[in-house]
Amino acid sequence: MKRVLEAQLDKYFNPQTTAEIKVIEGTHAASHAAKLARVKTISAYPITPQTSIVELLSEMCASGDLEAQFIKVESEHSAMACLIGAEATGARSFTATSSQGLLLMHEVLHWAAAARLPIVMVNVNRALAPPWNIWTDQTDSLAQRDTGWIQFYAESNQEVLDTILMAYRLGEQVMLPVMINMDAFFLSHTAEPVAIPKQNLVDEFLPAYRPEFTLDVNDPRAFGGLTKPDRYMEFRYNIQKAMETAARLIPTVAEEYDYLIGRHHGTQVEEYRTEDAEYLLVTSGTITGTTRIVVDQFRDQGVPLGLLKIRTFRPFPDQAIRNAVAHVKKIGVIDRNISFGSGGIFFNEIKAAIYNAKVHPLLNGYVAGLGGRDVTPSVITDIAEHLIKSKQGKDLIWIGVKK
Amino acid sequence: MSQILFEIPKVEIMGSGHLACPGCGATMAMRYALKALGRKTVVVIPACCWSIIDGAAPYSVLGVPVFHTAFETAASTATGIKAGFVAQGKTDINVLAWAGDGGTFDIGFQSLSGAAERNEDIIYVCYDNEAYMNTGIQRSSATPQGAWTTTTPVQNPKSRPKKNIVDALAAHHIPYIATASVSYPDDFIRKLRKAKSMKGMRFLHILSPCPPGWKSQAEDSVKIARLAVECCVFPLYEVHDGRRYNLTHKPKGLPVKEYLKLQGRFRHLSDADIEKIQTEVDHNWRTLQRRVEFSTEIDTRSDVSDQGATK
Amino acid sequence: MTEVLEIRDGVPSFAISVGTMEWNKTGSWRYMRPRYEDKIPPCTVGCPTNEKIPRYFALVKEKKYEAAWHIILEDNPLPGVCGRVCYHPCETVCNRLEFDEPIAINHLERFVADQNFTRRYPKHFFVPKNGRKVAIVGSGPAGLSAAYQLARRGYEPVIYEARDEAGGMLRLGIPEYRLPREILDKEINDIISLGVIIKTGVSIGTTISWDSLKKDNDVVLIATGAHKPRSIDLPGSNLTGVTSGLSFLTRYNLTGKADIASRLLVVGGGNTAIDTARTAIRLGADVTLVYRRSRDEMPAVPEEIEAAEQEGVKIQYLTAPIAFLGTDRLEKVRLIRMELGTQDKSGRRRPIPILGSEYEVEVEQVLLAIGEIPRLDFLPHSFDKTGKRVTVDSFQLTNQKGIFACGDVAAGPVGTVVDAIATGKMAALAIDQYLTKGEITPPPQIKNGVPYAELNLDYFFPEQRAPSRFTPAGESIRSFEEVHHGLEPSDALYEAHRCFSCGVCTECDLCLIYCPDVAIKQTRNGSGYIINYDYCKGCGLCVKECPRNAMTFEEEVQ
Repeated sequence: MKRVLEAQLDKYFNPQTTAEIKVIEGTHAASHAAKLARVKTISAYPITPQTSIVELLSEMCASGDLEAQFIKVESEHSAMACLIGAEATGARSFTATSSQGLLLMHEVLHWAAAARLPIVMVNVNRALAPPWNIWTDQTDSLAQRDTGWIQFYAESNQEVLDTILMAYRLGEQVMLPVMINMDAFFLSHTAEPVAIPKQNLVDEFLPAYRPEFTLDVNDPRAFGGLTKPDRYMEFRYNIQKAMETAARLIPTVAEEYDYLIGRHHGTQVEEYRTEDAEYLLVTSGTITGTTRIVVDQFRDQGVPLGLLKIRTFRPFPDQAIRNAVAHVKKIGVIDRNISFGSGGIFFNEIKAAIYNAKVHPLLNGYVAGLGGRDVTPSVITDIAEHLIKSKQGKDLIWIGVKK
Repeated sequence: MSQILFEIPKVEIMGSGHLACPGCGATMAMRYALKALGRKTVVVIPACCWSIIDGAAPYSVLGVPVFHTAFETAASTATGIKAGFVAQGKTDINVLAWAGDGGTFDIGFQSLSGAAERNEDIIYVCYDNEAYMNTGIQRSSATPQGAWTTTTPVQNPKSRPKKNIVDALAAHHIPYIATASVSYPDDFIRKLRKAKSMKGMRFLHILSPCPPGWKSQAEDSVKIARLAVECCVFPLYEVHDGRRYNLTHKPKGLPVKEYLKLQGRFRHLSDADIEKIQTEVDHNWRTLQRRVEFSTEIDTRSDVSDQGATK
Repeated sequence: MTEVLEIRDGVPSFAISVGTMEWNKTGSWRYMRPRYEDKIPPCTVGCPTNEKIPRYFALVKEKKYEAAWHIILEDNPLPGVCGRVCYHPCETVCNRLEFDEPIAINHLERFVADQNFTRRYPKHFFVPKNGRKVAIVGSGPAGLSAAYQLARRGYEPVIYEARDEAGGMLRLGIPEYRLPREILDKEINDIISLGVIIKTGVSIGTTISWDSLKKDNDVVLIATGAHKPRSIDLPGSNLTGVTSGLSFLTRYNLTGKADIASRLLVVGGGNTAIDTARTAIRLGADVTLVYRRSRDEMPAVPEEIEAAEQEGVKIQYLTAPIAFLGTDRLEKVRLIRMELGTQDKSGRRRPIPILGSEYEVEVEQVLLAIGEIPRLDFLPHSFDKTGKRVTVDSFQLTNQKGIFACGDVAAGPVGTVVDAIATGKMAALAIDQYLTKGEITPPPQIKNGVPYAELNLDYFFPEQRAPSRFTPAGESIRSFEEVHHGLEPSDALYEAHRCFSCGVCTECDLCLIYCPDVAIKQTRNGSGYIINYDYCKGCGLCVKECPRNAMTFEEEVQ
């Protein structure tokens, strides 16, 4: 525990690059990131637990701290459609949503990506209804798997802020939109110390958005017109290529961010104590922080347990996963989501990724913590022990379901 | 030697080679609109006939930027485009949302209502061909009572009257609403120029003949749209601030049958059906006249739209 | 940035346009083809000389009065005359008649002529002479028209006129209050300016023999008109005081003097009768005019009848004289009332006397104006005749080689100035062909290309015809000043604008405005339009919306 905190202090609060340290909720970390990115247009619709993001942004716009057009639309669908328009003019834009709101956006999420508009959106992972539930669950964002959005999953409020800044840099480079996910309440409404980087350093890291093609009355072009089969497939190929490029660029962007701001949250993945690990837990979101403590405890007892944190769901870190599993014997994937009729979504992606790897360790899929149920250190300890004891891999193991 | 009846701007921003059916009213409407608005205009096109008419990528028939967007998002995307421009200091660009009746009356009504309530600084044109023509003539809430469509077959034609979109928009108290017809290009262009000179949400409702969908002759498109006006089916008027109504053309008040008889979609109607439609038209016309009369009593100082002033 | 923005085959890596749709030649969709085709308007067909009425109206609208005059002059060298005396059959077929009121075509013709009163013919009217002479007998409207058309084609026509002044019936029969002599003189002088020689005081058969005239000329055109008053065979016809209206008019028109009684009766219903009556009333007589049919059948121009009535001419319709009574001098006329029976050959209802309706009126003078017939005594008997006129074919050719006839002397439409001008024109065109090709090909038959139903009336609104301006009747009879004052320039423009311009493009731009395919453009020189068939989809809107049927829609020829 102490080690983690020390490491965090070291990593997070570099006085040379920090303008201010604020003890803030994840939602406000997102608001500050948008402000630092100098977004020009914001459009959003209220939904718990996202709302505080845009509330703070409205205040910033009202006070003049942020010079942006804030359009308070009548639905999430319109919010995204609005930003699609704004981004097409060359204006950097931002929105935030959650759960049902994200699902309502689904159609236009495809539009944003295929129109190659690098909008950045924060999604607060919240469970889907019915029944109503406002607590965390990743199924909302994972259901947007094929929309063409780059997806990040953050572990801390600081990572939320830093990832948003990196998202603009990355998205604008590959012309794809980026979604940064944070867990409802565990991040969104939990205050943590967050280092707000100096604006001049952010500006250096993230230059103004200057796309090659915009809606320009001096260079009139039609965007997204009827395309016949002879060309459509190439456009899809290009999006896949852009995703692959993004995978390649993520480490570079992270390094540059580290170089300028002095913080690094990993690449597409972050490995924690995986050196000589025989057993590996794979996590995303806030479960990761809890898992770090459990890993430390197992290591203290001499058990070679490691942790692989997935930071990007799209592009999916196939190669990083293959590298990470090259020497382990057993892998347990913890999913706070469920694809009905199949299982944990990260699990399935990882299973697919390692199919073409040289080695095939034992692979267990654990589904835990749906709808905001706590995944405590003891839950993770149970999972780790179950994994270590496992003789044969199992696709779907429900954790904590009441009989 | 020329004897011009009315003049319209010479500039051609819409070109030739587009994919519209012969005699397409929507195409004429676009041509006039761009003549009125000029090249500093961005057109937002949701799913509608114009998604096709504009041409097969990577080509476009319009000499202004065009943004194709999802069916229900004309108003919201246009809003964002305007905001994007304003955020970058480009405040003099007209953003024109160009949607069909389906995208306006039906699926796009929510985003339209939202934009109207917020008084977004956009020009929204609904070219109304009174059904989902691009998908093959299915009824929309803009389809008139009694009309045939593929989903309202003659055994069971549309029983409900057309939604009054102007009334619906007027309820939002936006600065400017006007109806316009492709058969009155001077009136049409005057209204778009007026819209251009104003700020805030401006909505134009254009009746747009569709020869395949209306089962009419391509050559009759202008005649039919003119009859719609002259039979008081589609009067030409303006609404300022959602309350002050004025007519821009005095219709001849011809019997509605004159309008109906040129269109195959009404062929199945009996005299009694036509009489019923006539009654409805008469009622709507009287209502409009009353509103026009009452408008003189409205004090313009009570205008509620905050951005309706001339630019 | 934009590491992934590759350009492949000129197309960026996402869906944005790189060009226009002009590659897409939508003309291939077309199965009907519109084209510009001016049609012949009904007024042009109605006008015996086929004046291109909408064409010169278009120029009037632009206040290009000289150019407008030139258009009229193609068909008629006497617009100042016709604009005053023509019975304007053009107006009775005007499509506007069905809509509201016909265009005041006649007044506009006069307006154009009057605007050019001080102008002379343009240079291009004067063509090199071809050295061929044509003899024309008679300098009335027919002879003048023929001479003019021939001179325009390089001939050197010589007109032989028996009287001392040229003009024929225009000068002899038409009173000055209808046709001021300065107008007539001006237009005759214009014709002379082309090199036309008018030998006055030369009477064929007296001064020059017919045979020598024929021998000395390749072609002779007889245009002697009809000057012999038709006689009436009634008891007392020979009484002093029973004379011809035409002789009375001629005497007054040439000398400014005529014997006139205080109470007189004019018999007849044509223009000569009205002219006689109105001249007589100006000379102070109490004038009654009797006509055996009703007003509807009266051949005189309706406006003239109306003017005569306003000036105080008492007109008795359905009335005819049956005897002139008196000893030596006329004292009374016995009249009988008539009623109309069935139609006769002329299509008019035949008047039938009502037995027992006879009555007598006391008059001192009767002027008979019941028609005129030609004098043919100077011609050999070998000429075929129809009734009392020289027989001609449709090219005004008589049965004699190289001898043509036109105007009232020839069979065919007779009695009006414009018909004389028309047949003169036709004769000239025939003579030209006869002399250059040796044979005459029939002129194209023209017919109305724009029936009323073909107009798109959506672009027109009922508008009253511009009012005529007259000297009030009480004042007009005090002199021989011209009674009608023509149109105010503003009214002339108004009338020109009222014209539907049937079948004749006015460049109103509607075709260009409505074209959904942007396939219609103005021509480079700014006159007319061109259709870009690469893109025209053949929707036909341009044709349908053309207000005046100046376009044609026809099946596409593959």
